[in-house]
Amino acid sequence: MFGAFRATNSLSGGLLWKIPWRLSPTQKYRQRQRLKAVDNVVETLSTALAKKGETLKSLERWKEEMPTEAEMLSKDKYTIFDRKEKRYRKGIHKLPKWTRVSQRLNPPGY
Amino acid sequence: MSYFRITLRRSAIGLPSRTRAVLAALGLHKRSQTVYHPVEAQFAGMIMKVKELVQVAEVDKKLTKWEVRAERRPDSGFYLETAVPRMEDKGQKTGGRVLARLRGEGETKVVEGVRRENGGEVRI
Repeated sequence: MFGAFRATNSLSGGLLWKIPWRLSPTQKYRQRQRLKAVDNVVETLSTALAKKGETLKSLERWKEEMPTEAEMLSKDKYTIFDRKEKRYRKGIHKLPKWTRVSQRLNPPGY
Repeated sequence: MSYFRITLRRSAIGLPSRTRAVLAALGLHKRSQTVYHPVEAQFAGMIMKVKELVQVAEVDKKLTKWEVRAERRPDSGFYLETAVPRMEDKGQKTGGRVLARLRGEGETKVVEGVRRENGGEVRI
């Protein structure tokens, strides 16, 4: 039970990574900053193109469909839908590459 | 003519090859690298593909690589003072200088470097 040769998860199975089930307040803060940074990029692009009188399909679609950071619910900022999870939600940090992908929308009603 | 000033902030390691190809097409090969592209729909579309990785600003002028580098260079932390000509003492030799210094009429000593910290001065 104790000592150097006790059977822990990492000793019997090798590599073991544990992902905490929820985000820390600092992780949530940085997530908000990242969402705002993406909003800024989209804003810059749309104002720059609007000055020239041009438009872009992907930009229009993003602005129409995606909520900005201020419009998002905290539920959608920090968790994502997962059909296998109890209560259908899990932390967004379980999403692979979650700091570098946009994941803003979830199925309505969940 | 205005430009998009695009800086790669986040690395594309582990991202799909399409995403990495977009970065390469923009001319971004390493983090903190800055490139300029004209404000056009095709470049806006490319930026939209990598919007999570870059920082974008609209600027009027294209800076050269060296100008961008000079912008990023931090402040040296000190500056060199030029020599101030000595004030002529009036009246007594020591008294005049002390009075002048009390009145704040000029620093006679030339120091090599002065760093300002919270209002005070640190001589190097």
